[in-house]
Amino acid sequence: MAVAAPRFPARRRGAIRAGAGGPRYPGWLALPALGYYGLFFLAPLALMGAVALSERVGHVDFVYALNFENFKVLWDPLYGEIFLRTLRLALFGTVAALFVGFPLAYYIARYAKRKTLLLMLVVVPFWTSFLIRTYSWLIILDPDFPVLRALKWIGVIADDFSVLYTPTAVYIGVVYTYLPLMVLPVYAALERMDWSLVEAAEDLGDPPPRAFRRITLPLAMPGVLAGSLLVFIPLMGEYLNPVILGGDKTIYAGNLIGLQFGSSRNWPFGATIAVVLIAVMTLAVLAYARLARREEQYGG
Amino acid sequence: MGKRLLQAHSLLVYLFLYAPIAVVVIFAFNGGRQVLNWDGFSTKWFGEALADPTITEPFKNSLLIASGNAILACILGTALALALARLRPWLRAPIDALVYMTLVTPEIVFGIAALMFFVQLGNWLSLGSILGLWTILIAHVVFNASVVALIVRARFVGMGQNLEEASFDLGAGPLSTFRQVTLPRLAPAILAGGLLAFTFSFDDFITSFFVSGAGTTTLPLRIFSSLRFGISPIVNAAAAMILALTLLAIVAAYLVLRRTAQVRRQAALIPGA
Amino acid sequence: MKEIPWEKRYDRKGFVAISGMAAFLAACGGSTTAEEEPAAPATTAGAAKPEVEDTLFYYNWAAYVNDETYKRFEEEFGAKVKKDFYASNEDLLAKMQGGARGYDLVVPTGYMIQIMADEGFLTEIDWSQLPNVEKNLDSKFRGLPYDPDDKWSVPKDWGTTGYVYRTDLVKERPTTWREFFDLTKGPYSGKVTVLDGIPELVGSTLVMLGYSFNSDDEGELEEAKQELLALKPHLLAITSTEYKQMVIDGKAVMALGWNGDGAAVAAEKPAEYVVAEEGGEFWVDAYAIPTGNEHPNAAHAWINFVYDPEVNALETSYTFYGSPLKRELLDGVLDPEILSNTDVFPEPETVANLEPNSVSPKGTELRDRIWTEFKAA
Repeated sequence: MAVAAPRFPARRRGAIRAGAGGPRYPGWLALPALGYYGLFFLAPLALMGAVALSERVGHVDFVYALNFENFKVLWDPLYGEIFLRTLRLALFGTVAALFVGFPLAYYIARYAKRKTLLLMLVVVPFWTSFLIRTYSWLIILDPDFPVLRALKWIGVIADDFSVLYTPTAVYIGVVYTYLPLMVLPVYAALERMDWSLVEAAEDLGDPPPRAFRRITLPLAMPGVLAGSLLVFIPLMGEYLNPVILGGDKTIYAGNLIGLQFGSSRNWPFGATIAVVLIAVMTLAVLAYARLARREEQYGG
Repeated sequence: MGKRLLQAHSLLVYLFLYAPIAVVVIFAFNGGRQVLNWDGFSTKWFGEALADPTITEPFKNSLLIASGNAILACILGTALALALARLRPWLRAPIDALVYMTLVTPEIVFGIAALMFFVQLGNWLSLGSILGLWTILIAHVVFNASVVALIVRARFVGMGQNLEEASFDLGAGPLSTFRQVTLPRLAPAILAGGLLAFTFSFDDFITSFFVSGAGTTTLPLRIFSSLRFGISPIVNAAAAMILALTLLAIVAAYLVLRRTAQVRRQAALIPGA
Repeated sequence: MKEIPWEKRYDRKGFVAISGMAAFLAACGGSTTAEEEPAAPATTAGAAKPEVEDTLFYYNWAAYVNDETYKRFEEEFGAKVKKDFYASNEDLLAKMQGGARGYDLVVPTGYMIQIMADEGFLTEIDWSQLPNVEKNLDSKFRGLPYDPDDKWSVPKDWGTTGYVYRTDLVKERPTTWREFFDLTKGPYSGKVTVLDGIPELVGSTLVMLGYSFNSDDEGELEEAKQELLALKPHLLAITSTEYKQMVIDGKAVMALGWNGDGAAVAAEKPAEYVVAEEGGEFWVDAYAIPTGNEHPNAAHAWINFVYDPEVNALETSYTFYGSPLKRELLDGVLDPEILSNTDVFPEPETVANLEPNSVSPKGTELRDRIWTEFKAA
């Protein structure tokens, strides 16, 4: 996806935006979207916040109150463990997606002849139902399926090796699910790269890693950051991969919340976890925004 | 040398990406019900999937919701993106934050919040349960409008706004400026955003699970029911067919775009056109 | 959102429930009834019946209805059956609590019927539309403690909670819960599954420790929690819907589950279903009509339809769960092998050792917390 290069450097754009320029699209164009968000996004979340403060009653119900009990309950090391586990998953997924996806994006951007085709090929799996793709991994990872059978026969893995319904399977599934979300932004950034600069540097004696670090990486950074965000954020709230590939045995933050609204029927507690999770994610996004802005000002 | 390594790596990645797809397609032709036992080549599941209303109806629902989504998200998102460019920073920042929040909120959280909201709404309006096609559509648009807004905004900002300025200066109103100046240039971004919105909505599970109520099934919900409760193997066939359909659509779109590009290039060569 | 002192209501009801159930269990089993009414396999011919709508929205456990039954019902009444599934009573309750309306027929287990009725999620049954049930229901299944006036529910089937294991893949012959736990932690680690159900799992563990299935004592529950946490790392999966196939496939050699699934496995592979010596759960699943339904006549028609002995036999031969119809009605229509199968129709002595689920709100809260810790382990 080629994105046109900005016409003006950042600071001048800002000057124009300050309203010093001529007429623009009217600000009220934002109102429909804002109204929509207000009604169908903020209101539900506010309701969720109210439920976080309520009290559980009887088998099923809860009562609106000003009860901070649940936040205290959340302080239990058990939940800290779940949160750390989720953090590990999100970090691993992001780093793994980067390690797997960056070289691919680089290859397509620099060497490939049919860029569009190759990019499409990355995206096409996305168009098969996520559920079916993920359940297919259960088949591929099944000890009786040819893949693992062959590996055992060759002797690469032990005979009773099974990765089904383990955190490892979840990790594989997670990288698989989010890989395109890393590849595309990185490619978008690398696509603007003038490769002749890199070649020149190499000709002039720079070893490839150095040329990469000095020339390519700075330009790729915005894409890396964007891709990391696109992977990390959803991963913190991941729900389906642990359920399907993990056998519902290991729960992460998303599963914990779902549990409270499902069989555990503890809506107040579930809402509390949700509120805390959103707060954490917002911090992460703000950190990203800070980083991204710095990139814009000082970076390539 | 580095190039060879990258090529090998890329090949492996593509294999990784397509392994499950291959499994889906291959087993769609499996005559037997058991996934791990190959029971002869057969196309019967495709026929059964097409004839099964518990598959075709959710498929239609998903199509409807996803299309409605794409349109609504594009309208809201594009309008937002256009307006955002003009606003003062102190106004823009909180709106930006809001847009990011819609993208950052875990789906399980939003799905449940939306459920609670719709249930309360139904109670207040004395309508009972209002959950259904519309609530799914509405819930999806929250996320998708932001997606469109971000993509369109990135493109809009990157395009530079000289032409719009000129148009406004020459006295054209926002509507004509949009139609004649902005829209043509923004079209790829809007299209990309709309496509993304459609895809996200069509394949959405978690939000749909919570706000669908009792009567409405979307295709992912149907698939989940089938996989979780082991009811029938025709979902593989259904998924394979949808994939084929999508590929056909892409190829068709690609050919059409190439043809239009060719025509436009040829037209540009004609002097005075 | 209401404020009602649940504690008081449930304690009293719980006591009545348990003592009532105990009396019921003592009499229950394969014995014949004193009433000698001639079986009348009436289908639908009836005077001035309310019109059956064109759709039935059936929210049910998975694999709980014979495909043939759906077909026959649709033919007979011209009504389409739309199906949706849940995997546990708690999931059903969560859905109802979440505001799901539009289901016409649900099948909760006894204790859940009591909860749902109290929460106002059910509508009353119109017995005038159920002549088959009136004639064919075994009197032992009337006025059960969770629904003493038969206002909210009509029994569907009954069964037990225990475990099934492959006799060809497991050398030992376990008969107790303790052995189930030990074997899972020992030689068969990684090849055992348990139900995705809080009451079943926690209750069975309590019973293993010598406590009541329905205990809400914190100390006892803490002990049960420790046992479960020690068990968790050795489990293959936690599932209520996939274990039957897993054991048949041999992916799992043992599974905590229900008698019907156990009997189904044993019908296909060498396997044994065990009701543990320490005890366990005895349950009755029943049809109920939730509020917000749109096709009540279709729902009643279904219930009446499956109480026809022939149709009922179809069901029992598919689900392998005990039928609540009068025994002698089943004699002619149900496969004698199934009729005499003690996994499908447990003996009275077996059942006498079991308890029905009847947990207090306090017990539920404690169990939910244990469940969270168990899943998080």
